[in-house]
Amino acid sequence: MGQHNIMVKICVGTACFVQGGADLLLYEDFLDPSLLRICTIEGTSCLHCCKTDDQQLRAPFVEINGVVHANVTPKRLIELLREAQHA
Amino acid sequence: MLELNNQYTVMKRRIDAEVLRALFAGNLTQTVDSIPIKIIPREREANRCCIYKERAMVRYRIMALLGVDIGHDDDECKSLRAYAQEALAVPPVTLPTLTTITPGCSGCPDDQYRITESCRGCFARPCAVNCPKDAIVFVNGRAQIVEERCIACGKCVDVCPFNSVIHIQVPCEAACPVGAISKNEQGYVEIDQDLCINCGHCALSCPFGAIAERSSLIHVAQLLQEKEEVIALIAPAIEGQFPGNLSQIIAGLKALGFFDVVEVARGAHVTALHEAQEVQQRIVEGKGFMTTSCCPAYMELVDKHVPSLADRRSSALSPMAYTAQNIIRSRPSAKLVFIGPCIAKKVEALPIPSIYAVITFAELAALFVARDVDVNQQPSTLLVNTHEFEDCRDFASTGGVAAAVLRRLEQPVAVLPINGIDKKGVRLMRAWEKRPPEADLVEVMCCEGGCLSGPGILVHPKLAKRLRQGTNVAKVGAVRGDLKKHA
Ligand code: FES
Repeated sequence: MGQHNIMVKICVGTACFVQGGADLLLYEDFLDPSLLRICTIEGTSCLHCCKTDDQQLRAPFVEINGVVHANVTPKRLIELLREAQHA
Repeated sequence: MLELNNQYTVMKRRIDAEVLRALFAGNLTQTVDSIPIKIIPREREANRCCIYKERAMVRYRIMALLGVDIGHDDDECKSLRAYAQEALAVPPVTLPTLTTITPGCSGCPDDQYRITESCRGCFARPCAVNCPKDAIVFVNGRAQIVEERCIACGKCVDVCPFNSVIHIQVPCEAACPVGAISKNEQGYVEIDQDLCINCGHCALSCPFGAIAERSSLIHVAQLLQEKEEVIALIAPAIEGQFPGNLSQIIAGLKALGFFDVVEVARGAHVTALHEAQEVQQRIVEGKGFMTTSCCPAYMELVDKHVPSLADRRSSALSPMAYTAQNIIRSRPSAKLVFIGPCIAKKVEALPIPSIYAVITFAELAALFVARDVDVNQQPSTLLVNTHEFEDCRDFASTGGVAAAVLRRLEQPVAVLPINGIDKKGVRLMRAWEKRPPEADLVEVMCCEGGCLSGPGILVHPKLAKRLRQGTNVAKVGAVRGDLKKHA
């Protein structure tokens, strides 16, 4: 049995938004309806992850079930949600 | 055209923000030479041949940001520090707007049709049958194109049941509507400035980032720092480019240090009124169709390539010009910065002395990031006294200009929207001299979809449209307060 409610918070702080995060807001277009149904998607103000200097941890950030992920592209978001679904 | 948020554009925004951060910290000249290394650290897995080439490209990007005409003034022995010092000492320079980065250019193979391995040498041979020039022969049971005879019509691509024919394009050349970009003798990209209309389509389509626009961003940043009376003129397309409603974007701009922010839609109202009057007049006088005049790339297109349309253009000034005029009347010493999605606007602004610089939404984004201004955290307020020009915010999308003109007319007129200009579109416009379009008002947008798809945008036009309508984002909770058009 997979997860039935995945909490997704897409960061819409300026840093995330301009580094590709805006594309994530088209989620209705690129997420499978079956995935969409089990996700509660919200926007969130800056998660304060953009302030670090770590090269690996780059905007845009998305929080999924309380865990923050970096470098999230639409493709990556689909993967992450699939993983969360089967976790 | 490439996806909007590709690796290259995201990298570009990062570099812009990094440079601005250094500027605001007061140590740009001291640190600028280390920025390429900071952005491309040794551990990075290179996407170009190696990290050193990537660093070199970051260096070029910074040069473009400093306004250097890289195609002509590329001095490899000169430090970025020296470039920065020079740039900051003079006002922003604009022409030529687009510059080429030869080391970045991959020298793509010429435009051609090629038959691939997957050709099965079938019996029906639709490629050969449909080729108007008999340019397809069969060798060892496989089709081959005789280059001397091929006229690049593309028929074979359409008819091959195996999709075996491919069209290899040079992305920049394919994107240029006026043939201004080509390869020089060495095989690298070059722009013919006498032909270029500054639409920016080439820069958007080059996957190597070998075409850059010269920026005025650091000059604007410097001005803001000096706390001068800098006024932002925001293009109608700005709504939907940042995570917040229009009032929040305006508040964000003020947080950056802009003394005041004026919507260019105000001037658009004047443009629309003028065009309404003019088109009516022309109908009465039997003068035939009139085109709009607000798209600066179209204005250059007519000047440089379609002189037969010169008298067809409305005599109305652009929304930017009217807005600037209006502001300067009450604040003669203000310095105006136009913020829009357009590169050609830089050329249009040149003869208007009150306009200090033109920057794009993508560049504004770097200012927000460097200054840690979160647009969606800004207070949302009700914008007042906007009633008169509110509908002109739609100047940003195809059909919006004509609609605004129509709303200011008593009798409707026939409208023809030109939604984006490519090579075919230019041919069509040339033909209007002999066969005029069946319309009274021709609305011309050089970018498909209108300014919302301009070369300086930040947000996918599809999303921008939704944000402008107040859908999607409200659900995502990005915006507090009213997001609907301010009624
Ligand atoms: S803007 Fe997303 S983490 Fe700061």
